[in-house]
Amino acid sequence: MSQQNKFIGALAALCAVIWVLAAIHPVDRQAWTLENLLLVLFVFALSLTHQRLHLSNASYIFIALFVILHTIGAHYTYAKMPVGLWAKDFLGFSRNHADRVAHFGFGFLLAFPVRELLLRVSGIRRGWSFWLPPAIILAISGFFEILESIVAETVAPGKGVEWLGGQGDEWDAQNDMLSALLGSLTMMAAVLLTNGKRKAR
Amino acid sequence: MKQPYGRFIDNSFLQTALACYALFWAVLAIHPVDRSDWFLENLLVFATASVLIPTYRKFQLSNLSYALILLFLALHAIGAHYTYAKVPIGFWLRDFLHLHRNHFDRLIHFAFGFLLVYPMRELFQRSAGAHETWAVWLAVAALAALSSFFEILEGIIAQVVRPDLGAAYLGTQGDIWDAQKDMTAAFLGAILTALLLTVRQHARR
Repeated sequence: MSQQNKFIGALAALCAVIWVLAAIHPVDRQAWTLENLLLVLFVFALSLTHQRLHLSNASYIFIALFVILHTIGAHYTYAKMPVGLWAKDFLGFSRNHADRVAHFGFGFLLAFPVRELLLRVSGIRRGWSFWLPPAIILAISGFFEILESIVAETVAPGKGVEWLGGQGDEWDAQNDMLSALLGSLTMMAAVLLTNGKRKAR
Repeated sequence: MKQPYGRFIDNSFLQTALACYALFWAVLAIHPVDRSDWFLENLLVFATASVLIPTYRKFQLSNLSYALILLFLALHAIGAHYTYAKVPIGFWLRDFLHLHRNHFDRLIHFAFGFLLVYPMRELFQRSAGAHETWAVWLAVAALAALSSFFEILEGIIAQVVRPDLGAAYLGTQGDIWDAQKDMTAAFLGAILTALLLTVRQHARR
């Protein structure tokens, strides 16, 4: 077993422990199931392809952080996440913004592995590698909002954004996508600043 | 980078296409249904022009790419003239197919994805250096992202800039899932072109 495989194994084990703990008595089992569908698909796809992707340890850390973040969010159905409720009361928000933080986290944490993947396999130049990951993140985020609207119409027909995902925000989809975009742009700026002096590949 | 298509002054195809579009645009700029809405819709045209004109000398797309962009902008000019929700052909379609709203805007969202994947792919392949297959699917992602970004902008404009104009500009026509359906139309258009390009790629081999 290579050094990196041990590292990925340890990360996967950590995620698995947290996932199992969060799977016990979630706040809302139906919402938990829905939230976990895509996560399970994502991890499954990753486990099938990771030998070919050759991502770095840093990428796997970011992916694991996102998995943990989403696992905890799904346990509390996001809308009832304690830290978000606290922020809502303390800062006087109109809603629990934990889901917005997770959308931001999605963009922030996953833009890094996406960029790495593009640089390794797609052939794009370094300059473009800062713009295409945010585009991919925003595209996936848009696709997710489409799925969410279909789920909302199926699970709670006619209730629209009053259903869990939206918490009554008429512009929920737009604000979610904006969070993901800002997250990915923040990560790209961080990458640009930290390895700006490195030579183009 | 070498200039495969030469100077603008020698490119009679592009001159003709641009002249046709300019004439079409000018006619539709006369007495639009709602001048403020027309202006908002045309910000897209000004933005596109301010990107494509200065970059022409350094990086030229193929004539087909420019033609597709102009075709999209021509369709958009019709929508802008009638504020989308009031495009006559959309009303005709609504009555003919017994739809509950004017679907012209959805058609243009579809056209956005369908017509613009080709030029985007060309940009990614020639300027970004992406491999052929990657360029096609990155173009789909980029169009999907632009469509999502457009919905974000619409949301911001409706919430902040002109709340009074919001509903008219948005053209949601009372649909709470308008943004999602618009994006779906654009995604499907983009995927359709990507599939056509993939078929062409395989046919060539």
